Amino acid sequence: MFAFMKKDMLILIRDRTELAVLLAMPFILIAILGFALSGLLSGNSEVLSMDVAIVQEDDEQQGLDRFAEELGSAGIPAEAQAGIMAAAEESSPSSILQGILTDDSLSGLVTAQEMDTASATKALEEEEVVAILTIPENFTFKALQKMMLDAGDGAELQLMISDHAATQSEVFHDILDEFVWSLNFESAIARAANGEGDLPVAEQTQFGGVESVSAVQPISSFQYYTIGMAVMFALFVGATISGMAYVEKQQFVFNRILLSDHHPLVYLGSKAISAAIITFLQFCILFFLSSLIFGAFDLTEGAFWPGMLLIAFSLSICVGAVAAFLTALTMRFDNDTITTVFSGGVVTIFAFLGGSFTPTEGLPVFIQKLGSWTPNGAALNAFLLWVQNLELGLLWEPLGRLLLITILLLALGLLLFPRKGEA
Amino acid sequence: MLETEELKKVFKGKTAVEGASLYIDKGESVGLLGPNGAGKSTTISMISTLLKPTSGDVRLNGKSVIKNPSDMRRVLGVVPQEIALYAELSAYENLKFFGRIYGLTGKALETAIQHSLELVGLVERQKEIVKTYSGGMKRRVNIAAAMMHEPEVIIMDEPTVGIDPQSRSHILEMVRKLNKEKGLTVLYTSHYMEEVERLCDRVYIMDHGKIIASGTKDELKSILSSEETVWIELDRPYPAFFKELQSIESIKQAIETEKGIKLILPKGSRVLGKVFQASERHHVQIINVNVQTPSLEDVFLHLTGRKLRD
Ligand SMILES: Nc1ncnc2c1ncn2[C@@H]1O[C@H](COP(=O)(O)OP(=O)(O)OP(=O)(O)O)[C@@H](O)[C@H]1O
Ligand SMILES: [Mg+2]
Repeated sequence: MFAFMKKDMLILIRDRTELAVLLAMPFILIAILGFALSGLLSGNSEVLSMDVAIVQEDDEQQGLDRFAEELGSAGIPAEAQAGIMAAAEESSPSSILQGILTDDSLSGLVTAQEMDTASATKALEEEEVVAILTIPENFTFKALQKMMLDAGDGAELQLMISDHAATQSEVFHDILDEFVWSLNFESAIARAANGEGDLPVAEQTQFGGVESVSAVQPISSFQYYTIGMAVMFALFVGATISGMAYVEKQQFVFNRILLSDHHPLVYLGSKAISAAIITFLQFCILFFLSSLIFGAFDLTEGAFWPGMLLIAFSLSICVGAVAAFLTALTMRFDNDTITTVFSGGVVTIFAFLGGSFTPTEGLPVFIQKLGSWTPNGAALNAFLLWVQNLELGLLWEPLGRLLLITILLLALGLLLFPRKGEA
Repeated sequence: MLETEELKKVFKGKTAVEGASLYIDKGESVGLLGPNGAGKSTTISMISTLLKPTSGDVRLNGKSVIKNPSDMRRVLGVVPQEIALYAELSAYENLKFFGRIYGLTGKALETAIQHSLELVGLVERQKEIVKTYSGGMKRRVNIAAAMMHEPEVIIMDEPTVGIDPQSRSHILEMVRKLNKEKGLTVLYTSHYMEEVERLCDRVYIMDHGKIIASGTKDELKSILSSEETVWIELDRPYPAFFKELQSIESIKQAIETEKGIKLILPKGSRVLGKVFQASERHHVQIINVNVQTPSLEDVFLHLTGRKLRD
């Protein structure tokens, strides 16, 4: 048995293409997805740094004064007036916006410069800035009026973006959207509280970068995609192994194995174990590299890794079962179409359903259910629960699902594998 | 030791082998000849337990191996017609794997590897990847792989296709030695008649899934002809000598040719002594004598109406 597995490893190591699919591809995808969706928070700004011009046409103090007058004429009791005024000063949209644009988390990413309209336009034309944000006259007043009193038409920011740096201006647009959304959200809360008391300070962590899965421990996008890609590419190991079995059959070495009087099931078992070992190694390599290079996880955190390894172990066994199932089908029909279909389509569909690319939270419930019953989806659930809570007790449910899938696939594999070794 | 009884294999309505009965005694070397598609490989697959016959039986020492193939597998080495090796591994790694699945380990394994490599003359290049070998070298590893566990019976399905004459000779000699000295039992399939002539004691000839002839080489040849032809090359014509030859009773026919005389004799007649006595009496200068017997190739042509290799 050991000889079979050693031979499988040796062949895999010699095969550059397979190695690229199993190790290089997921790593590259972690890099791409991690950077594209995280640059905002983790300060990896080189990829997405941008200069923007700010044209300030609003006078904040004047706006606040005018808002105070408005309060006076609205017939609001003096006591309440003072409270609202204090809140208004604290949550003046103009200040918050300034705060965001100069925040540490954005430093290096967005460099904002105040300019007048003319030089801003010129800078945009000469591609020195990717966007002009104009804060129009009376912005402070109109925004406060809408936010605090729900009166007037509200305020509008004007954003002019260039088309020479589509991604950056797109990201900047997103930042502003977040800002506007969170202001609206806050004022909605504030109004619900009758305009009394302190307004919540803008939650700056809302801005990009965090795939906020649940409220417990935020997960960085590198963490998310290291997990997402690892569970997705684990499935490819199953296809790789059954592909190897097909080659063995095609090149008649399988006949030699039969002639050595090994029971065909020993062969099937060796395929499952090979796949499990390779998956586990793949997990270790991906997580190690991702932690080392992207700082996805803290390698020195002793309490963290046992749980990760437990989940990785369970997933590896399950991939072993996937390999056995695919190998059985391949050998039964003497055809590797099944493997091609699996790696060419099924894996991608499973990856989407299981949430390897985007969290499934936003998807319809039945799709979430379906996804949680894929090997990768179940493992991803388990990983996220562990990363966020570090509580073993929470893992039994997704790991139980993984175990059921494993048993089912193994049973099918045993059923389908040709016992006599002949078609 | 090994026998088959009325072996039959039908693939999806197409009969590949029909009623093949053959036997091989211990230590014997038996050839299986037949044109492409005759059913040789199919027969071999059934004997070696890789293929279940549609009907018929294969017996090893009197025991059927179809239900219980382990006994056969233990003593059997098969050199398949196709190269059955891991292309990505070296010759050494291939042999190591095939040795290990037969339970060899440690020193025994290492010895077996080097011994097999020596047999096929690939010791020097054992660490190279099989993919990079020439066709002939792959064939040789293919043979070595079947030798790893020192089988008692070896079945070789066209093992020397694509091997150069020198290495082929080397391999034939190796098989012959194993057969004669170590008592290895051999079933050998080939398109090369001279290989079978050199190697095998007995021959089966197959065509269209049936065994159409069998016997020792001489028995088979006698199917074709009961006569021998003797060419006697002379430095010049000797009319008196020719006259005397014509008068010898056991010579069926004597014909004068350009270079000398052609005699047609019944097979096995011991007449050459008389011919030489006559030549001395007539002071005849004989340059060359050539006794021609029909080859297996001729027999084959006669039986199947086809050349062995088209
Ligand atoms: N798996 C199979 N399915 C269907 N037909 C088969 C199969 N294997 C062999 N045959 C058919 O059986 C017949 C005998 O084939 P076989 O390979 O035994 O011939 P062979 O004597 O070994 O020929 P060659 O000298 O070319 O190797 C052929 O007509 C072939 O097409
Ligand atoms: Mg053949």
